[in-house]
Amino acid sequence: MAVDPMLQGLVAGFAVEAQEVIQKVTMDLLELEREGLENDALAKIYTRLGRHLHTLKGSASSLGLQDLGDIAHRLEDALAPLKATTQKMPRTVVDILLHGLDLFMLRAQAHADGRGDYLPDPAAALAQLVASAPPPEAASVLPGGAFAHAHTQAQPQAPSLVGAGPSEPGAPSSSDPQGESADSGWRVSARQVTSLMREVERLREVRLRVEERSRELERVSTLLAKQGLLAETAEARTLLSGTGRSLRTDGEETSDIVDALEEGLKAITTRPTRTILEPLQRMVRDLSRQLGKEARLSVVGAEVSLDRRLLEKLQGALVHLLRNAVDHGLEMPAEREKAGKHQEGALTLRVEQQGNLLYLEASDDGRGIDLVAVRRVAEKRGLVTADEMARLNDNQVRDLIFSAGFSTRSDVTDTSGRGVGLDAVRATVESLQGRIEVASTRGQGTRFVLTLPVDLGSSPVLMVRALEQYVGLPMLAVESTQLARADSLRVGKRRAHLEHLGQLLPVVDLGARLGLRASAPPAEGQPMLVVQSGGRRVALVVDAVVGDRDLVIRPLPSEVREVAAWQGAATLSRGELLLILRPDWVVSDSEKTQVSAASRRALVVDDSLTARALHRAMLEAGGFQVHLAASGARALERLAADTYDVVICDLDMEEMDGTELIARLREKKETRTLPVILVSAHDSAQARERGLAAGADGFLSKRECAAGRLLAEVLDVMSRRGSRA
Amino acid sequence: MKGTPRMVDEALAEETRELLARRAARLREQGESSVEEAVHWIAEFPLGEERYALPLESLRAALPLRMVTPVPLSEPAVIGVLRFQGQVLSALSLASLLGGHGWRQDPAVLLVVDRGDGELCALDCEAIPRPTTLSLASVEAARARSEGPVMEVFTQDRQLIHLINPKRLFSVSEAGVRHGR
Repeated sequence: MAVDPMLQGLVAGFAVEAQEVIQKVTMDLLELEREGLENDALAKIYTRLGRHLHTLKGSASSLGLQDLGDIAHRLEDALAPLKATTQKMPRTVVDILLHGLDLFMLRAQAHADGRGDYLPDPAAALAQLVASAPPPEAASVLPGGAFAHAHTQAQPQAPSLVGAGPSEPGAPSSSDPQGESADSGWRVSARQVTSLMREVERLREVRLRVEERSRELERVSTLLAKQGLLAETAEARTLLSGTGRSLRTDGEETSDIVDALEEGLKAITTRPTRTILEPLQRMVRDLSRQLGKEARLSVVGAEVSLDRRLLEKLQGALVHLLRNAVDHGLEMPAEREKAGKHQEGALTLRVEQQGNLLYLEASDDGRGIDLVAVRRVAEKRGLVTADEMARLNDNQVRDLIFSAGFSTRSDVTDTSGRGVGLDAVRATVESLQGRIEVASTRGQGTRFVLTLPVDLGSSPVLMVRALEQYVGLPMLAVESTQLARADSLRVGKRRAHLEHLGQLLPVVDLGARLGLRASAPPAEGQPMLVVQSGGRRVALVVDAVVGDRDLVIRPLPSEVREVAAWQGAATLSRGELLLILRPDWVVSDSEKTQVSAASRRALVVDDSLTARALHRAMLEAGGFQVHLAASGARALERLAADTYDVVICDLDMEEMDGTELIARLREKKETRTLPVILVSAHDSAQARERGLAAGADGFLSKRECAAGRLLAEVLDVMSRRGSRA
Repeated sequence: MKGTPRMVDEALAEETRELLARRAARLREQGESSVEEAVHWIAEFPLGEERYALPLESLRAALPLRMVTPVPLSEPAVIGVLRFQGQVLSALSLASLLGGHGWRQDPAVLLVVDRGDGELCALDCEAIPRPTTLSLASVEAARARSEGPVMEVFTQDRQLIHLINPKRLFSVSEAGVRHGR
């Protein structure tokens, strides 16, 4: 039957609208079957439900979709007696209504796809709806949406449209002869959107450059005013300040455009997480009914908007985790009561975004992971040998549940037992460059934490400094800042602790943690931040707190992505990058990562970043712990605070050259005999003589360094100094 | 009278020979130049005492070496990170990647290079590289001989150039990082 394209467009729009309304009705129904709701609250929900069902009926009838109108009418009939008495809805009625909604949506989607004529007689569906409730698992959520399952079932009834497949809500069907109508939107590839995002980022850089030019102009104006040429330069200064003003206005406008573009792109590419989380309520309810359990899912952070592609990939992972929690985690109601728990199991999904990191937590208050069973099954299934198992600690044993083929179920059920699940979840998370961790306490429950990088949006960051390194910390992780005071510090042999609100927090020196200097207790008045992540807290010692910024945190390139300390980088106003620390790394046990104090220490002083990097690489390969200084002045600061076995110093530096640094070192008793090797790009006898005459213990040209002589020279010089001492 | 037409014929034949000879010379020239066109464009630069090169097609930009943010705790070959056209790139020490020990002068330039997997990164370099060519045949021959990230190719004047294969270089260095962890 030929379908009017205009009417077809309206039906497609109706299907999208109906899906939204049905989602709301579903949430209300789940609420109505819970215990303990006040009469007022019940009445409100019934009224809202009635209104929604009436809307569905009216909209369907106005489009001539009589079968849908009839289904909605039957649902209203089922609701009416309960609405009149305002009582908790019996589960059987909830089942009937949910099934009715499934039928409604199935048929609405079929009409939208132009398959309405192939649908079975609505009378049969209506009779089935009234006659008996279907098994709850029939409506379980599958990736692709609450009604994907039902939609797929309808496919065989429409042979002429095989291949149309599940379509995006609101997207025109492939059978639409008119193709995409002008007002229905565009289909764009992810690559096109990503490329647009890059252009927005470039525009942001242009804006930063405009700001920088504006500052340069101001400096020129100030310079002209200082030269005592006030009268002569008056016209130029007026012109410059006018240009400066215009430039500032242009900068502000560019800033507005960047913000608007970013907001627009965000709206196009993201959607609230509730769109995937709310349908999971229904799945949890149906599955627990099927298994004879009781469960309630609470969602925290459902309003966080995320990349649509990310959400689509995560939906399957969350379904797995929740099914696992209901099936394996939660006990039967009687068992729970016996253990002193509420008969209704509590499942929680928590979504939180910190900077460019997304934390997704799925937890239950069930029986927890049985490590004995995990060990037994892993060995039985050949995942590890008995010897390997003996060497694993509890955390490593727990991680075995992510192995392919692992299942503690001995029987295969509809829900589990095939050993496919958590390994797939981990694969999904890792494909998104994220990671998954599990924590569990026997008898108390299990918590899975997924950490994933996300691209969009700015977030508040606190900028701090450790030596010359500026870094950012997501503000959400910073609880407070304070200055170190001797009376609140407890300094032990191995580490210091801060007394903070009745707790003793480990003190962590950021400079030492980043390998920039040796660890030392904080000096009086040194800034400290109380940083928390995942329930752990430390007092982080920094050299300066610069201030807070609202920054867009970008992911790091592959070569540094694996460095646990960093979660990304953000662009500062002058265009340089600021590295952003991962709070979970900051609070993790730092003692494991600290380099042994027994290793030899070298200080590399060079104003060339690449030379510092190269010397560091060579010396680290030779077993040295290496600290770096970009100038003679910085080197003196380092040497005043730390002790080193050798200094490798560039001869020709701008601020203070190598000979001057040596002279300063030889003046002090502590550094008089410290071995110093000068390195120079000048490979001349004159440069060598100059260096050795200044008191250097060794001299190498960069050509000799390039030939691999540095480490040998360092060892030679240290050995000569040692024998002289 | 008979001689005149013969002379004309001879003159014509001579002209024809000359014309054909010129055409042949032109064709020979074309042949020679088409051999010259079979070249591989490279960006050549010194590294330590030796001459290295990258395929010109892999080079995206040459930037002054500034605005690089060091990344503490990263691999020794990592100099830092920088912004380039809206992206965050790693700046890497080419000398370290190649297992060398240093430059004759401090590098002043960063070469933005396609790693061969569609991603970009920056490599340090003493100076802006010189675009030049290598015979394609010698590059192909070197490629057949070598499996590593650097191929030894001789120029026509018998100078040795170490031609870097970015794809192999980065797959080797990444494997190193993975094994090192």
